[in-house]
Amino acid sequence: MKCWFLAILGAVISGCAKDGQLHEAKKNTVMVEVTSQVWDYRLPWNPGTVSSGRGAGFIVAGKRIITNAHVISGARNITVQREADPRRYAAKVKYVAHDCDLAMLEVEDPAFFKGTTHLDLGGIPELESVVSVYGFPIGGDRLSVTRGVVSRIDYNAYTHSGRESHLAIQIDAAINPGNSGGPVMQSDKVVGVAFQGFRGDVAQNVGYMIPTPVIRRFLKDVEDGRYDYYVDIAVRWMPLENPAMRKYLGLANDGRGVVVTDVFSEGSSDGYLNKGDVLLSIDGHPIESDGSVRLEGKPVQLEEIVERKFSREEVRLEVWRGGQTETVNVPLKPADMFSMYEILYEPPPRYVLYGGLVFQPLTANLMAVLAGSADLRLKQKYTMFATDQMYRETPEPVILSAVLPDPSNVYLRGLAGQIVREINGRKIRTLADVEPALAANGERSVIRFEGDSRPAVLKREEVDRSTPRIMAQYGISEASRTEVGSRRLAKGSYSQEEKK
Amino acid sequence: MILGLFLASAAWAAEQDEAQGSVVRVRAAIQPYDQFRPWQKKAPYGLNGIGVVLPGGKVLVTAALVANRTEVGLEKPGSAEKCAAEVEAIDYEANLAVLRPEKAEFLKGFKGLALGPALKAGDTAEVWQLERNGELLRNQAEILTVGVGRYPNDEAGFLQYGVRVSLPKRDDSYTLPLIRQNQLVGMVMMYDRDSQEGTAIPGPMIDRFLQDVADGKYEGFPTLGVSWTTLRDPNLREEVKAPKSGGILVTRVNPRGTAGRAGLKEGDVILSVDGMKLDEDGNYRDPLYGLTAIGNLVRVRPKVGSQAKFLVSRDGKEMELAGTYDRRARDEAAIPTLAFDTQPRYLVLGGLVFQQLTGAYLQEWGEKWTERAPQRLVELFSFQQEKRPDPDKKVVFLSQVLPAAINLGYQHYSGLVLKNVNGTEIRSLAQLAEVLDSVKEGNLIFEFTDDPGKLVLDASEVKARQEEIRKAYGISELRKL
Repeated sequence: MKCWFLAILGAVISGCAKDGQLHEAKKNTVMVEVTSQVWDYRLPWNPGTVSSGRGAGFIVAGKRIITNAHVISGARNITVQREADPRRYAAKVKYVAHDCDLAMLEVEDPAFFKGTTHLDLGGIPELESVVSVYGFPIGGDRLSVTRGVVSRIDYNAYTHSGRESHLAIQIDAAINPGNSGGPVMQSDKVVGVAFQGFRGDVAQNVGYMIPTPVIRRFLKDVEDGRYDYYVDIAVRWMPLENPAMRKYLGLANDGRGVVVTDVFSEGSSDGYLNKGDVLLSIDGHPIESDGSVRLEGKPVQLEEIVERKFSREEVRLEVWRGGQTETVNVPLKPADMFSMYEILYEPPPRYVLYGGLVFQPLTANLMAVLAGSADLRLKQKYTMFATDQMYRETPEPVILSAVLPDPSNVYLRGLAGQIVREINGRKIRTLADVEPALAANGERSVIRFEGDSRPAVLKREEVDRSTPRIMAQYGISEASRTEVGSRRLAKGSYSQEEKK
Repeated sequence: MILGLFLASAAWAAEQDEAQGSVVRVRAAIQPYDQFRPWQKKAPYGLNGIGVVLPGGKVLVTAALVANRTEVGLEKPGSAEKCAAEVEAIDYEANLAVLRPEKAEFLKGFKGLALGPALKAGDTAEVWQLERNGELLRNQAEILTVGVGRYPNDEAGFLQYGVRVSLPKRDDSYTLPLIRQNQLVGMVMMYDRDSQEGTAIPGPMIDRFLQDVADGKYEGFPTLGVSWTTLRDPNLREEVKAPKSGGILVTRVNPRGTAGRAGLKEGDVILSVDGMKLDEDGNYRDPLYGLTAIGNLVRVRPKVGSQAKFLVSRDGKEMELAGTYDRRARDEAAIPTLAFDTQPRYLVLGGLVFQQLTGAYLQEWGEKWTERAPQRLVELFSFQQEKRPDPDKKVVFLSQVLPAAINLGYQHYSGLVLKNVNGTEIRSLAQLAEVLDSVKEGNLIFEFTDDPGKLVLDASEVKARQEEIRKAYGISELRKL
C-alpha cells in the first residue's frame, strides 16, 4: 500500500483545552474491538482468514457512533466499550463509506448510552492551532490523549479505498498504530477523525484526520437510509497558464479558467461538457487558471465544490465555448468507470469455475494477488482501463485467474492470467456473460483470449466428469458466485438501482 | 624418456605458435547516445575482448563488443603493437561483427583460424583467453546443450550452445573464442561466473554470417513473421482439425512477412517447412543437431531471397504454399527495436523536445521499462506486431519540455504521441520539421493522441526564443532529423 499505513491516533490534552473537553471526550469516546475476515482472491471460494484489531470511535447526536471504515471492514463481530463502563456491548455497522473511510455503528442495548452525551462537530481548524487526539493506541488499554498542531489542509489520498482523494488535515501529533477512528477535538468540538499517517521511515510525526466537511457529508448522505458514494464531475482539465494557449482559446490574459481536455463517457459531464470548453466558474466561484477556487476564504481545488454535493444534485458551470459564455448545469453522479480501482472489502469475490479454470472479474483486489505474475497486456488493461475508456466496450474484463491442476487440463495451465475475449463465439463483457456462454456449447467449449494466445478448448463430457473431482480436491463448495450485490460497476454491466 | 619430454614440449611450442597467429586483443571505446538528452552522448567506457583472426586477414568479434563504439583497436597478444580497425560488417541480431585492420600488413604472418564442424551436446572444446604476457590460456569447456535461445538483441532466438567452463578473471573477456582442435567452433557471448555456465554462438551461425558478408551485400537473417503455439493438446488439435500428429498452430501472421506473403493465415497448422516435418512442439530433425526448434530452420538455414515452402493444414485440408524468405516483418516495423551507433532523431522547438520512438529509447528507462516508461509508448512498441501500424508512419512524441517562459503551463508533459500539427498528420520527425518550417507566424497547434490533447505555441515567438533556449540548455544543434 505505497508508503501509507493506517494509523490510529491517541488523544491529547492541548494546552488550551478546558477540563470540559477532556470530560466530554472521556464520556463519548469508545473503544471498538473487531474480529474481521479478509477474502482471499487467490482462493475466491474460501471464506478467508480471521483476524482481530482495535480502533476508536465517538458518539455523535442521535446515539450514533462514528469510526473509520477501515476499523470495521470485513467485520464478523464488533464490540464497543466506554471508559466509564467495563462491560462490552455488541455493535453493528449501520452505514459504511469506504470511499471516505467513515462508518457509523449502532448499539442495540440502551444501557450502553447511560451516562453519555454526544460530541458536536466543529469547523475546519486554523493552521498552527492546537488540536487534541483521543483514542486507544497500542501501549495500554485506557484512553490516551495526544496533542498536535494543524500543519496543512489539502487534498490527499484516502488509502483505504485505493482510489479516492478528498480534503484531509495534516497534524503533527505523535501517532501510534492501533486506534483509528478517534475524535480530534478543539474547543469542545470534533474537528476531525484520525485516520492515517506515514510510516516512520518516510516521515515522522505526520498524521492525518478526516475534516468535518467530509464527516458532515457522510451524515447527510445516509439520512435517507443508504450511502450513495461521492459524486464526480468526471472530466480532465488542464491549467491555462500559457499565454499562447489562452490567445488560441480567445481568452483574455486575466488568470481565469481551465480547459476541459477529456470528458469521461457515461460520467456526469457526458453530454453536458465538451473537450475544449473553458470552465470559468463553478457554482458562482470564479476558477483561477490553476484550477483553484476560494472557499470560505481558502484556496481549494475546484473539485471541492463537487465533493460536497450528492447524487443527482447539480453543479452550475460558467463555460466559455465557441467565443461565448454559456451556463451549463451538470447533474452529478458517482464515477463508476473508476470502480475497478476500488479495493473491495465486504462483497465476497465473484468467480466462475469450469473444468478447473477459474474466471474472475478484473478488480484491484485480483490485481493485488496477480501483481507479480501479470503480463504486460493485463497490466496495461488495468492501468489504462479508465483513461482509454475501455469500459464502454468491456465494463468488467474477465480474467482466467487460475487453472487448478487436474489431469483434464494439463495443456491449459500456461493460460492463467489471460484476458477472456470470447467464449463459444460470444463476446465476454462482464463475469455475468461467462456462464451463459459456457452453457451455449455443443460438445466443445472454445475460450478465446485477447492478443495472440492460443484458445482453450474443453470438452463438455470431460468437464462434467472433472468438475466434481476438482471441487472435492480443492474444497470448493460452489462452482460459481456471480451475484453483483450492491457493487457499483461501469454502466452496462448491470442495471444500477437509482435512488428515488 | 628425455627424448619424449623434448618432443612433447616442441609440439606444445608449435601449437602455441599456431595459437599466437590466430587471435588478437580487441579494445573498443564505447560511448552511447543519451536517449533522454539525444543531443549528447553518455560517459565513455572501454570494452576488451579477444577477436579471432580469419584466414583472409579480418577479425571476428561479437557485435556487442563494438556496439556504440567511437573507435576500435587491435593489439597483438605478445607485443604492444596496435592498429586501428573498422567495422566491415555487423549484425546485432546474430551478435557478430567483422573488423578490418586499417593497415592491411598488421596481420601479416597471422594464419588465422578456420571454421570447424558443428558441435553436439557432450562435446568438449576450449575457451581461449590471453594472459597479460600474451600467452594463451586454454580453458576446457563442455557443451551442455544445443538449442534455440534468446540472443542479447534478438527475442525470437537463434541456435546457441550452452557451455560449462571455468574462466579465470582476465581483462579481455568480453568476447572469447570457442576452439576445438585449433578450429573455430563458436564465440562465447554470455558467461555467468556463479554458475560457470555461458552461451556461445555456434560455428554454423558464424559460417552463415561470413558467407553473407563475403558476397559483398549483407542481407542478414530472414524472419518468418508469425506467432505460433504448440499443438500437444488433443482438444485443440480436434478444434483446428489438425492431422493425427505433428504441426504447430499459427496464432498471428504479419501480412508483410515471409509467411504472410506466402499466403499463411491465422489458424493454419504448419506441418512442414522446406520439406522438414515439424512435430507438435515446433521441432524438426536437423541433420547436424538432431531435434531442433523451428527458429533455426527458418532463420539460419535459408538466406534472404531463397524459396520458402510450407505444407499447411487449413480447416482440415492440406495445401502447399510457397514464398520467398525475407526480413520485411522486422525491417519494416514502424518502431525499430534496435538503434545502435546512430544518434537518436530529435527536434527542439520552443523548449518542446520531440523524438522518434525506438526500442532503444524505451530501454533507457531501465530494466523495468515496461512499468516506468510512458504507458502509451510501451503499448505502441510492445504490441506493434498485432496492431500492424503503417510501417511508413513513425511514432513522433513529445519526450520532455525544457522549461522556458514560452512553454509555461506545459512543462510537466512528457511521453505524448503527436498526431498532427495545424491539422497536418505527422508521419515522421523529418516531416514534422517541414511542417513547422512552413509556419512563419500565427499559432502552432500540436495535437496529441492523449490528454491534454492540444498544446499551442505562437510561431513567431518560438522563432524569436529558439536561440535563447538553445544556449540556456547548451544544446549544440536544435534538430537531428
